[in-house]
Amino acid sequence: MRSDRAPLGLRIAAFAGLAFLHAPILLIFVYAFTTEDRTYQWPPPGLTLDWFAVTWNRPDVWSALGLSVRVAALSTALALVLGTLCAAAVSRARFFGRETVSLLVILPIALPGIITGIALRSAFSLGDIPFSTLTIVLGHATFCMVVVYNNAVARFRRLSGSMIEASADLGANGFQTLRHIVMPNIASALLAGGMLAFALSFDEVIVTTFTAGQQQTLPIWMLEELVRPRQRPVTNVVAMVVVIVTFLPILGAYYLTRGGSETAGGGK
Amino acid sequence: MPIAVEFQNVSRHFGSVRAVDDVSVAIEEGAFFAMLGPSGSGKTTCLRLTSGFERPSAGHVRIFGEDCEGVPPNRRPVNTVFQDYALFPHLSVRDNVAYGLMVRGLDKTERYARADEMLELVKLPGYGSRKPAALSGGQRQRVALARALVTKPRVLLLDEPLGALDLKLREAMQDELKLLQGSLGITFIFVTHDQGEALSMADRVAVFNQGRIVQVGTPQDIYERPRTRFVADFVGSANVLSPAQSRAAGGPEKWVSLRPEAIMLTPAPQARVSGTVTGIRYLGAMNRVSVALGEAMLVATVPSGAALPPVGAETGLTWDTRSVHEMDGE
Repeated sequence: MRSDRAPLGLRIAAFAGLAFLHAPILLIFVYAFTTEDRTYQWPPPGLTLDWFAVTWNRPDVWSALGLSVRVAALSTALALVLGTLCAAAVSRARFFGRETVSLLVILPIALPGIITGIALRSAFSLGDIPFSTLTIVLGHATFCMVVVYNNAVARFRRLSGSMIEASADLGANGFQTLRHIVMPNIASALLAGGMLAFALSFDEVIVTTFTAGQQQTLPIWMLEELVRPRQRPVTNVVAMVVVIVTFLPILGAYYLTRGGSETAGGGK
Repeated sequence: MPIAVEFQNVSRHFGSVRAVDDVSVAIEEGAFFAMLGPSGSGKTTCLRLTSGFERPSAGHVRIFGEDCEGVPPNRRPVNTVFQDYALFPHLSVRDNVAYGLMVRGLDKTERYARADEMLELVKLPGYGSRKPAALSGGQRQRVALARALVTKPRVLLLDEPLGALDLKLREAMQDELKLLQGSLGITFIFVTHDQGEALSMADRVAVFNQGRIVQVGTPQDIYERPRTRFVADFVGSANVLSPAQSRAAGGPEKWVSLRPEAIMLTPAPQARVSGTVTGIRYLGAMNRVSVALGEAMLVATVPSGAALPPVGAETGLTWDTRSVHEMDGE
């Protein structure tokens, strides 16, 4: 006998777990509307929408947001190119050291961010490369590439090898095969990988602190604001925006890669 | 007849594995040619050497007299029907069939007209707007065929084309392929491990073993006059007698083959040999009788309705010496 409803204890535990995970995030949202701007007082003495206007008029928020978007877009683009090429090589060709390459590509995401950050910083100073948007982009591309690679490699495995041969057999050159056969079949995986990469880059702190110099991305700016309290709820407003900006692509990526098995195998 | 595809001393090695080992064969234009052999015997590699997905380690592959060395698959006048069909899942059936025309730059109206014509030919009219996933195995096979034929290749390569179909469908497709080939007049080269398929469809058969062609000939040659033990064994279930066994049965001291249908059960006095019936299998039109002669085992097929000795009984066997075929012991 199986009952459709879980036992009461289990349901309480599940709700407790969810509350533990998500209540702090809700708190952040609530404080974005508080009337009190020095200490985070509970319960909020009053609610207001003023902080949205204040945030809108703060140039430092805009410049941090601009830098974050620029960095995320560039590192996603770089990761898409490199990650896809890497995935294509690993899944379509047999060569010496293939497994090792596969492992080395994934390694940056397993490596603590602080190690990646220190390594990049030493490399930049060794090479006399001044900090710029480009240095942050390079830092972010290391882990963005991994998510693109993982998505692409999974899709390449499902793309039946004989489909590419069939295209060539029917007279298509390499570019035509890429455009008409490979791209349509991996596009949604690339979009998903790209969205995840964008979200990862957008809220990254650790690697950024080592590769940004004096520049402030949005998460770095938030960190500084917490130390130096001035119009505190502005930080909360920005946090809300960050949550939404990172959550939507991740949700999108989830729906894009979920159950896409009809593109598999090529007619098996 | 001009030669469509010619292999001249072609080898293809993968590391130390000789997948194809010094193969020479000439396939005439308009032929229905079968490459028959067990898996790993090099037949598929030969097909891929023709389509251009493999390059020979040594020797020359010529298509209509032209050496193909360095000619990529998309520039060869051959098309392939792949074993898994390799249909493009994101394209409709019509776009799948029209693909070869699309990459050649034909405009939409013309390529769709020709694709629909092809779908008609393979008996799938009206299926153009479906996706391959919505088709059955047999229908996918026809789409793959239409797609490979629409660009009017001079040679069609078929890699185990019927392997994924069930028995009934397979037999129907065998007839259809044969008819199609006859009406189009294109050279068909098909790879199979099913000897029945090879014998019934092809007009010439090459039997492969361990990267080499053991015998090339008409289905009758291959079946009735196998050149080696391997061919006799692989093509149909011939009885193979070692030189000693053959001599004991009054034959030449050589490896010989003897078709089951050539052996008759007979009372002991007229028999060449006698042995014990170890099994009888009913096959519809025939009974298949296994008889043990000491170490050797002979199989005879006896028309249904004829009297049969019970299992365990002694029986005599006889045959016409003309049906004994000598061969190499390889």
